[in-house]
Order: sequence, then C-alpha cells, then structure tokens
Amino acid sequence: MRPENYQAQSHPPSNEYELFIGPNHPGIEGNYAFKLKLHGDVVLAGKADGGYLHRGFEKLMEGRLWIQNIALVPRICVPDPVPMEVTYSMAVEDLCGLEVPERAQWLRVLQLELSRIAAHLFTFGGHAATTGMYTTSYWGIADRDLILDLFEALTGGRVYHIFNIPGGTRRDVPPGFLEQVSQTLDYLESRLPDYDNLLFTNQVFITRAKDVGAMTQEQALEWGVTGPNLRATGLAFDVRRDDPYLVYEQLEFDVPTEAAGDAWARAMVRRAELKQSFRILRQVIERLPSIGGPVRAPIPNPLAWNVPAGETYARVESSKGELAYYAVSNGGDKPYRVHVRGPSSMHAVQVLEWLAEGARLEDVAQIMFSLDACPPEVDR
Amino acid sequence: MSDLSKIPIHTEKHAPEEARTNPLAGVFDELVRFAQSRSMYMLHYCTGCGAIELPPAMTSRFDMERLGIQPMVTPRQADILLVTGYVSVKTLKRIILTYEQMPSPKYVIGICSCTVNGGMYWQSYATAKKLSEYLPVDLYIAGCMPRPEAVIEGMRALMANIQSGETEPWKDYYQRYDYYLGNQQHLFGDNWQTPTDVIGQAQHYGLAGPETEGEHTRILQQYQQPLVAHKLRLK
Repeated sequence: MRPENYQAQSHPPSNEYELFIGPNHPGIEGNYAFKLKLHGDVVLAGKADGGYLHRGFEKLMEGRLWIQNIALVPRICVPDPVPMEVTYSMAVEDLCGLEVPERAQWLRVLQLELSRIAAHLFTFGGHAATTGMYTTSYWGIADRDLILDLFEALTGGRVYHIFNIPGGTRRDVPPGFLEQVSQTLDYLESRLPDYDNLLFTNQVFITRAKDVGAMTQEQALEWGVTGPNLRATGLAFDVRRDDPYLVYEQLEFDVPTEAAGDAWARAMVRRAELKQSFRILRQVIERLPSIGGPVRAPIPNPLAWNVPAGETYARVESSKGELAYYAVSNGGDKPYRVHVRGPSSMHAVQVLEWLAEGARLEDVAQIMFSLDACPPEVDR
Repeated sequence: MSDLSKIPIHTEKHAPEEARTNPLAGVFDELVRFAQSRSMYMLHYCTGCGAIELPPAMTSRFDMERLGIQPMVTPRQADILLVTGYVSVKTLKRIILTYEQMPSPKYVIGICSCTVNGGMYWQSYATAKKLSEYLPVDLYIAGCMPRPEAVIEGMRALMANIQSGETEPWKDYYQRYDYYLGNQQHLFGDNWQTPTDVIGQAQHYGLAGPETEGEHTRILQQYQQPLVAHKLRLK
C-alpha cells in the first residue's frame, strides 16, 4: 500500500546519463568542452561548451592601431595563422585602395599554401590519433615541422610570422629559399605513399571513419559548412577558384570533392588538397623568379595611418574553410569594428552538435577532428 | 564543502620527524628525487596557443619522452600542469580545480608570455594576467610562443630543481592558501568554492602555516553550501 500523500516522481531512465568531455580531455581538439547525453554508448544529444579561449579579439582590435592588429590576428587560429594575416591585410588594402605589388601577391600564395599543408598534416595526425593510430600523428607532426622550418627561414618565426602587412610583405625571400621549398615538397610527396599505407588505405581507419558523422549536401549548405567539409559532400566550391583573390586566377589546380560527406570523405578531400597544394607551390616556385619589383607598396606612416572611412569584406579559403574579415573604418587610426567570420564557428558548434546526435561515444572525438574545428577561432 | 568536511579525515598532524640514523638515508632521498625527476607525467590540457608547440616537442622530432616526460590524461595521475598561454577566467577556474585534484608533489609550468604578465592580451577584459597570483608557479618559459627547444630546456630546468630538492612551490599553496584564495575570490566573486578541502589537506599533511587561514578563508566558510548535483540541462 502506498501512503496517501504519495506522488509519483518521474526520473530519467537509469541507463541514460550525462557525460562531460573536455576541456581537459585528449579527445578534444584544444580547450573546448562538449556535454553529451548518452544511452549506453549512443549519443542522444550533445551541447557544445565553448568560451574557454575567449580573449575578446574584436574588442581588442578596436583599441589598437591598424598596423598593430597585424600582430594580433594570427593568434585567432593557431594551427593555420597565415590566412588570418593575409585576409586582414586584404581588408585594410581594400579600404585604403592600396595596390599590392605582384611579387608580394605571389609570396602570399606561397605562404598560404605552405600553411595549408602544415594544417592538413596536423589534422591527419589528430584524426588518426582519435581512431587509435598514433604513428600517423607522430610522423605527420614531424613532417609538419619541415614546413615550420621553411617559415622560420622566410619569416623568422615558426608558428606566428607577422610577415604580411597591409601593402605587401615585410621582406623578400632569402637566397636559396625556393630550392629549400622544392626539396621539402619532394620529400613530402615521397611520404604520401607511406601515409596511404598507414592511414588512408588502412582497413582499420576505413572501417572506423566510413559512415561516421555523415551529412548531406543540403544539410551542409543549410548549416553554413565551408571548405573541405563542404567539398566532402560533393559540392565543388572553393573561394580560390570561384572568387579568386591574389594570383589564384593564374594558377592551375583542381577542386577535389568526395560524395559521401562522412569523416572518411573529409579526410580524403584533405589528402587530395595536399596534392593540389604541392601543384600550386611548384607553379609558384617556377614563376616567382621571373616576377620582379618591390614586395611592398609604399604606405603612410603606420603610427599615424588614418584609413579612409568605409567598410569592406575580404575572404579567403583557409585550410578550415571560408575565412572572412568584415572591417569598418570611420577614418581614424584604429578600426571602428572588425568582425572575423571564422569557419570553425559553424563547424565546432552547431554542426558538431547535430552530427554527434546518434553517433557512438567513441566517434565523437573523431567527428570533431574530422571537421577540423579550431577552438581558438570559435571563441576568439 | 561542508559535506566534505563532515567526512572524518585524519586531522592530527604527522608525527615529528625522528632523527634518521641510517647512514644510507641521504642516499635514499637522493635516489627518490632522481627517480621522481626522471618519470614525470604532464597533464594533457591545452589551455592556450602555446599548446601548438607541445605536439612537436612530444613527437618524433624533439621527442620529450627521452627525458621521461609523457602526456597523461587525468589530473589524478599527473605531476606537471602545463599552462600553455593566456588563461581566460573560465579556463582559470578549470585550471584551479584541476590543480587541486593533482597529487603532491605537483609542479606548474607557465608557458608563453601571457602567463607571466598578460602578454599581448594585457588589455583584454577576458583573461587573467598573472598566473602566479592564483597558483604557485615553478617555472616560466617566456616567449610568444617558446620553441620546442625552449620547452625542453624548461623541462630540464624543472628536472634539475626536483633532483636538487631546492624548490617546492606546491607547499606554498598550502602555506599561503589565504593569499591565493583571496586573488581567486577577487576574480571569481566571493562565492567561489572548489570541491577540494585545501585547508583540511594542509592540516593533514602538516603543511598548514600562519597564512593558511585568514580573512579570505572565512569568506569561504560563509558561502559554503552543500554540494548538490545540478539538473541536466540538455533537452
């Protein structure tokens, strides 16, 4: 017999539970957290929890000179910093009507593609590690270091370069640099079969990654997915080809796509993009010596540089997706407002939440790494 | 924490050290310190941009493992807490929670300029500027960002410190808990609580000093509430 004042209470079923992943977790890319509601090991719902890396970039930039912000922007996306500098510079150049010398444009393409290779090698490593194959991450990160050596020879910095400024680049290439790039490309190209054996044709990886975190093309377009993640759903959209900037019109390259839209397709698109970046870099090495001229347009005194009033939107294709800067000037020496459209803001928050639904617990980390989300860019 | 304080932990201090008569006692201590310095697990927690130079330092090229340093996934088994770069206020709470969970002896390394003085985010509204105000820091590795060689050099300096037994800042957290807690309360608000009973631990290990308790720990007791499980906020 139940007492008279008995009231039935509804409890959640005991086989459903909540799990917190991150921020202190090896399966999470960077300082980011994810709350999961699980039934057994199937995810019922996920909630992204960012903000651990928030520094208030857009506010900080309003308080610094236009030229000072060059040192600030690469910190927004740590694994792929060059597109940040280039896009910000492009925005400022557009506001000022500055014409960038052709040689500087080629130098920027050189850096952008090197940075893309470095970021993709890093992502392979992370993606492989989430499926339990650590050799790829050890080799990939060691090979990425060769690209960082090239950056060091060119700019003096391994990770943050502060090499592109509004108007061009700081310096020209050092002597012998292009041969060094060529040798590194030869080496990296000779390593691709090794990576194929280790990862891309490895049955363990294929079984783990196929049909995991799949999205259709309609979903991808609706969710604001860009970059390799969008191309993995079969849509050949690349800002480099469809809205060319710098000298990408003069370069020959393909836009690789895959149809499946799952984690495996995303990895394969990145692998194909690696080859396209090699192809672009070889063209740059061939063409750069024949292009003379300065590497920097004359700019006014940067400490008292009043950028004409106006607003602009500059976009490039970074390794993560479409990266854009919306900059507004009111004619002062500091930006009135700068907004960063980072690709990871969509990938790591809404897309990750939707893709995690129905996935298995062990695949959540893989989905995050296959989306190549960059938490500092989400939080800014 | 009031719940935790009801758990009967042994509050009596350790017996005062007896005079050691074994002629090998000194050698034994040195051996222990040597072993400690050669097998360190660093917590896998990427708090900021400096974490991007840790994979190169750990993997094939620079290979930190030859020094006996490996990443570890849980704070309960880690020796080193690397704070790699700027700490936003939200992250700093997690860092403090993590630090208090780690077993002693524990070491904190502040990597990048941002942990020293705020670095290039000196005017940011979202970051904590000086890490040493909130946690006892063993070592700073300055730079933006420090190269893997610098990280490894810093690790070697920490190993030398451990082996010589010179620095033990983790004791400072117990001995001057009031100072650190005051700074934490200044940043997070007066109702800041952690599930770890630091004062109880300090008394238990005989590390409590005159500055372990003070005006800030009294605020701690004032706001103490029983630990309750939060409701699920997912749909």
